[in-house]
Amino acid sequence: MIDALAAEWLKLRTLRSTSVVLGVVVVVVGLMALLAWYAAGLWDGLPPDQRDHLAVSSLPELTGMLGSLCLAVLGVLAVSGEYATGMIRSTFTVMPSRGRVLAAKAAVLAVVAFCAGLAAILATYALGRLIIGDRAIRGQSAEPLARQFPLFLAMSLAIVMFALIGLGLAAITRSAVAAIAVLVALWYVIPLVAFNLPAPWGDRLGSVLPGALAGELAGTGNPGSVGGSLLSPAAALAVMVAWVAVPYGVAAVLLTRRDA
Amino acid sequence: MIEVRELTKRFGRTVAVDGLTFHVKPGRVTGFLGPNGAGKSTTMRAILGLDHPASGEALVGGRRYDRIRHPMREVGALLDAGAVQGGRTPLGHLSWIARSNRVGRDRVVSVIEQVGLAGVARRRIAGFSLGMRQRLGIAAALLGDPGVLLFDEPVNGLDPDGVRWIRELMRGLAAEGRTVLLSSHLMSEMELTADHLVIIGRGRLLADTAMRDLTGVRDVFVRSTRAADLAAALSTALSTGLSAVGGTVTPEGEGLSVRGLDPVEIGDLAARHAIPVHEITPRAASLEETYLRLTEDVTDHASRRADR
Repeated sequence: MIDALAAEWLKLRTLRSTSVVLGVVVVVVGLMALLAWYAAGLWDGLPPDQRDHLAVSSLPELTGMLGSLCLAVLGVLAVSGEYATGMIRSTFTVMPSRGRVLAAKAAVLAVVAFCAGLAAILATYALGRLIIGDRAIRGQSAEPLARQFPLFLAMSLAIVMFALIGLGLAAITRSAVAAIAVLVALWYVIPLVAFNLPAPWGDRLGSVLPGALAGELAGTGNPGSVGGSLLSPAAALAVMVAWVAVPYGVAAVLLTRRDA
Repeated sequence: MIEVRELTKRFGRTVAVDGLTFHVKPGRVTGFLGPNGAGKSTTMRAILGLDHPASGEALVGGRRYDRIRHPMREVGALLDAGAVQGGRTPLGHLSWIARSNRVGRDRVVSVIEQVGLAGVARRRIAGFSLGMRQRLGIAAALLGDPGVLLFDEPVNGLDPDGVRWIRELMRGLAAEGRTVLLSSHLMSEMELTADHLVIIGRGRLLADTAMRDLTGVRDVFVRSTRAADLAAALSTALSTGLSAVGGTVTPEGEGLSVRGLDPVEIGDLAARHAIPVHEITPRAASLEETYLRLTEDVTDHASRRADR
């Protein structure tokens, strides 16, 4: 297993998609800094009695949300790229245990997604605090890092979940287009549908969707967003695991059964 | 040693490989021939555990491929040279393969040199020609220094220099006692490279035989200004039982086609009768002729000849 892990790590590291996706994550963090700078400028230009009307979504949460999509795409490309070129046959020739290959890919991707996600969220937080300073803009939490860290951790886990969903979907569909289409549906389209469902179904569906789980896991819920807040942290963790386990399990069975 | 036993593989209703049995022995190059769609690639994929057979089995060194712990150290394969991700460099591509099978870094460098890619080891594969990709695929196959090697159409896209390099490489690997299975459509190249042939058509075995049994000496062509005199002398020699029974002498253009006597016997005989001889050429049946005759009935996509 160590050999498979090391091999998959080398592969992911030398995959061009990896640097492209991580580059996009850096750009996202940069955009958040730009947004903070813009908001700070707006805030300064407003008369003090109107400043309360200015609200900006939490920048670290925005990074978490966009980062989820980026890393999910990386999860897709880590598998679909091999199918597109036929390299999957080289992979299964040198490592005939396909279950082990999938596990190694998932483990390496999870570590990369967690580190990249947490780093991007922390960087966004730090830049945000630096730029916004003591301006009390609504939506921007001025709480110290120690208080926010559980949420940041939960958001990083959600990014890992998205990445692994992408990996599983790509292994099932063997196609980047199909996998990314399903992902975007999960990330954006279905939450929109949930938002427009009549109560209490909107909240119920909204609470189990991948995008809502980080807030529920951290116990902060999802105020002011599409996501529901019905699940306890333990339940949120269980649902998170299920979101990973189901596509992964299907992928593992299909990989072993199908001809490569 | 590769053992294919009663191997059957279906894709939907199509039977790609149909009860195929053959062995590939070490120490010689075994050519794997068959028309397009005969099941060569499917058989190779089944040997490597990539395709699951409907029945039968393929064993390498007595084991199923997927039971081998470090397969690259026992079996090297080049199936599809295009099947690499263009974003990597040869060094990157071979490094992960080496790491997956605990093959040392120094081996990566030495195979890159062996296949002649040292100058482009850090360039992106995307810009490589088919010939360079073939070399990279061969490097990957050789990486684990395996005793069994499978190559599917390795000379595709190579220049004459590369073709000769492959031929010498294959012969060298077999001479070291390795098992080499090589598929190709280039009959003339196969004739020069392989010692043994396995020919299949529509998934079934057509021939499993030594190269020399397929391409032995057919006749000797002799040219002489006194062809008629020579023919008489040769006929007499044949009828007096000098050589094998059933020899014949038939006029052919300016000369004679002789069966049953070898060039030395013909030359000696002509000298004894003081008949000038301008050419003595032993002629072999080409592999191509034999192959086309064997596969005539099983070719799925044959181009119909105009005179038929």
